[in-house]
Amino acid sequence: MLTLSEVTGISGEEGNFQVQVTQHPRYVDMEKCIACGLCAEKCPKKVTDEYDAGLKKRKAAYVKYAQAVPLKYALDPENCIYLKKGKCKACEKYCPTGAIWFDEPEKKLTLNVGSVIIASGCQVYDPSTHDVYGYGRSPNVVTSLEFERMLSSSGPFGGHLVRPSDHQEPKKIAWLQCIGSRDVHIGARGYCSSVCCTYAIKEAMLAKDHSKTPLDTAIFYMDIRTHGKDFERFYNRGRDQSGIRFVKSRITHVVPKDGNGNLLIRYVDPAGKRVEEEFDIVVLSVGLGVSPEAAQLARRLGIETDHYGFAKTPGFEPVKASVPGIYVCGGFEAPMDIPSSVVESSAAAGAAGSRLAAARWSLTKTKKIPEEIDIRGEPPRIGVFVCRCGTNIASVVDVPQVVEYAKTLPYVAHAEENMFSCSQDTQEMMAKIIKEKRLNRVVVSACTPKTHEPLFQETLINAGINKYLFDMANIRNQCSWVHGQTPEEATEKAKDLTRMAVAKVALHQPLAEPELSIDQRALVIGGGMAGISAARALSAQGYESYIIEESDRLGGRAVMLHETWDGGDVQGFLKQIIREVEADEKIHVRLNARIKKVDGFVGNFKTTIEQEGMEETLEHGVTLIASGAAEYKPDFYFYGKDPRVVTGLELDEKLIQKDASLKDVRTALFIQCVGSRIPERPYCSKVCCTHSIKNALTLKALHPEMDVIVLYRDMRSYGLREDLYREAREKGILFIKYDEETGLDIDRKGEALEVLFTDTSLRRKMSVRPDLMVLATAMVPPKDNPLAQMFKVTLNDDGFFMEAHVKLRPVDCSTDGVFICGLAHAPKPLDESITQAQAAATRAVTLLAKKNIRMAGSIAEVHPMDCSACGVCVSICPYSAPAFALEGPHAGKATINPVLCKGCGLCVASCRSGAIHLKGFDNDQIFAQIFALREAV
Amino acid sequence: MSEWEPKIVAFLCNWCSYGAADLAGVGRMLYPSNIRVIRIPCTGRMSPKFFLAALRQGADGVWVSG
Repeated sequence: MLTLSEVTGISGEEGNFQVQVTQHPRYVDMEKCIACGLCAEKCPKKVTDEYDAGLKKRKAAYVKYAQAVPLKYALDPENCIYLKKGKCKACEKYCPTGAIWFDEPEKKLTLNVGSVIIASGCQVYDPSTHDVYGYGRSPNVVTSLEFERMLSSSGPFGGHLVRPSDHQEPKKIAWLQCIGSRDVHIGARGYCSSVCCTYAIKEAMLAKDHSKTPLDTAIFYMDIRTHGKDFERFYNRGRDQSGIRFVKSRITHVVPKDGNGNLLIRYVDPAGKRVEEEFDIVVLSVGLGVSPEAAQLARRLGIETDHYGFAKTPGFEPVKASVPGIYVCGGFEAPMDIPSSVVESSAAAGAAGSRLAAARWSLTKTKKIPEEIDIRGEPPRIGVFVCRCGTNIASVVDVPQVVEYAKTLPYVAHAEENMFSCSQDTQEMMAKIIKEKRLNRVVVSACTPKTHEPLFQETLINAGINKYLFDMANIRNQCSWVHGQTPEEATEKAKDLTRMAVAKVALHQPLAEPELSIDQRALVIGGGMAGISAARALSAQGYESYIIEESDRLGGRAVMLHETWDGGDVQGFLKQIIREVEADEKIHVRLNARIKKVDGFVGNFKTTIEQEGMEETLEHGVTLIASGAAEYKPDFYFYGKDPRVVTGLELDEKLIQKDASLKDVRTALFIQCVGSRIPERPYCSKVCCTHSIKNALTLKALHPEMDVIVLYRDMRSYGLREDLYREAREKGILFIKYDEETGLDIDRKGEALEVLFTDTSLRRKMSVRPDLMVLATAMVPPKDNPLAQMFKVTLNDDGFFMEAHVKLRPVDCSTDGVFICGLAHAPKPLDESITQAQAAATRAVTLLAKKNIRMAGSIAEVHPMDCSACGVCVSICPYSAPAFALEGPHAGKATINPVLCKGCGLCVASCRSGAIHLKGFDNDQIFAQIFALREAV
Repeated sequence: MSEWEPKIVAFLCNWCSYGAADLAGVGRMLYPSNIRVIRIPCTGRMSPKFFLAALRQGADGVWVSG
């Protein structure tokens, strides 16, 4: 990882780039810095903290934020007194490891790489650019990012919600949407930033939670765009349960009031009345954009950008930049939220890697591991290493006293203190002592196992003993750092924690890590755009796959699509990739095929399919679900009864077939949200707004005299699609927000179709007599989805597959080795389906590329003789690890698949017979800790 | 009575609360020392027997967080 680095130039070509990198000095030796924070504590120079959005101070010696990776301090050369004026050096004087490095040089590096990925992120809009909101004039007007820090418990007000001017608790807060977005005025941007509606709702909900007294929150918006997966439910919750007020009004200016720090907002309410309202805080929901640095980088790398500065990508290859071998992801590609960025990053990594697949493993070296000593049957001989961590622990905890105390504990054969237990020389010395004193258990009393356990376990392996014969006592993060004012009590606590760790480790046993080979083939369920894209991505990485398609052709819903929102020819592209797939030796297509049965688990699935009456069993290591969704067919609005009423996709079909009757249409009416955002289907189908705009424009182009009207609730042309919406309005397409309360009344008057509704801006009843009525219907998942049961994955309340973690693992299922993409996951447009399919393929490759996987040793195990076969473990495990044994001496009893077990212990705690044991955290081991509490409680 | 401090045993999930307690340290958030943390792999591991054992050992309060 190269931090503080910038790319200054690039030469060469795909497969062989020379990248020039300048690494600016950190003025801290990363090898020596232990992130104790003494430099920052002693640094006399206070600087405005940009991480806390300027609301707090930091020092010139600093770490950007607590979770920074790598967690190493840095000197800020713009503010460091020594680097500026040649005097001070306080940090150097106090640094316990001599890590301060004032004359660290700037480094020039040349990297030889095959591909480049740009993930330079985004920058929020600066509302002082064109300040009509009082941002520069009142401290109580803050950006959403500043408000985010105000809500944070590590932020400037410790999570206590107060307003910046007088630190009083606010009673009323307003959010103004689209600040710097959907705006073509000076300094602002025409596109929608995609994320602000949802984050404003989140902030308003959190603000209400943080407030001790009832807090009034109002969001002023143009359209609420909660188009992401599950976001519409979140919006409903914010409005109906949290009581957030949503006011449809674009606020053009904010007036700071004299004297009380309040802010005045003027707007027109739904009844048409002018209203003036005062707020304590106004939050500006600022949009996302490309930073000047990223724009400069794009120029250096020679990649094309659009008129907003975002990287240009071909619609069907959403992470590919204009220069071969360079890929983009995240906020530099388009404004997007975290889940989309993470999906794009996986897709970009896969695309970059696929061109380098041939070189995989060619530069790796295998490490030699010493043979493990069998310690079973030996009495415990425990070594205790107490770390001073420079002064981090030792300045509070009396380390020698802890060492002397440790020597008195049962089975302790050795105890000593270290200046830094984690340093290279201490590690070597530790391994030597383990061998010399024949230690068979080790306790390190130091920092946290979350960061350092793997390091010390490595030392155990190097000393020839099993890495599970180890435990840590957390006497820094959870002791010296938080009890600095009571050193004696901290020392007592350190002794207690060490005693508890010693008691536990004495009961540790060597554990084996089961190894498993991975079948190198993938099963892709669904032959639509997502399935095809996933199989192509896998093939490009060198892996074989089976595509299982229920129908008699590939292409899925895409065969009905005319053009993508940015004008891509879907049918042309589809024909081309289907030809490629059919010619690809690594892709095996099974049409008219249904899945009958699934056995096995990650690495070794056995799936039986039926194809025209014939059964076939396919073996594969991973599964990608791309089973799609369908267009909702309503049984109202004269759909199916009147030929003038069609769905969105049916209109596409007419456009693909160049249906001549479309030219005769005089009035075309699009109705949005048919079957979406209603109580029985509360999600947003995401694609329909843009789809209708696109088709409205196509109709208008066919016949410019045609009246084209779109009846909507919120137009959700998110991201760069907003340009299309603006173009449609400029071309005379009428967009009318209808009153949801009174709804639509559709009738047939003689031959004519008549649509009655209330226009919310005119507050008047209107009627339209269309001769083409297009219903933008919902996207619906299959009713009963057997795949969920077969692969033991979960569906959400709407019937779409659930990801393991929305942000961290957006294409993984909670069951190992199963991935999701496309419409099966949630409604999404074609480009996002392709990206997600590429991401799912990349995630699958991370498993396939290993060939073998090693599982953790700390997993659950059943003692079959104690098992009463009640089945609680089988039904309770979120990972489907327990099952009843089908054969063998313990048939009928529960058995746990070590490959699927995550070691959470849920089954152990639930087992009424006490038959299940969690290795490393077994009952006796936890009880040993509890009993060792002794005088501590 | 005013000087009495309860002794608390905390069972913290390795993946969330235990990490949060570590971060509280990184942020140097001071808090009283009358708490002893036992790390568990998940709060799903928590057994009622652990509460009872901790209380029987003399703990005044047991905190499970995850």
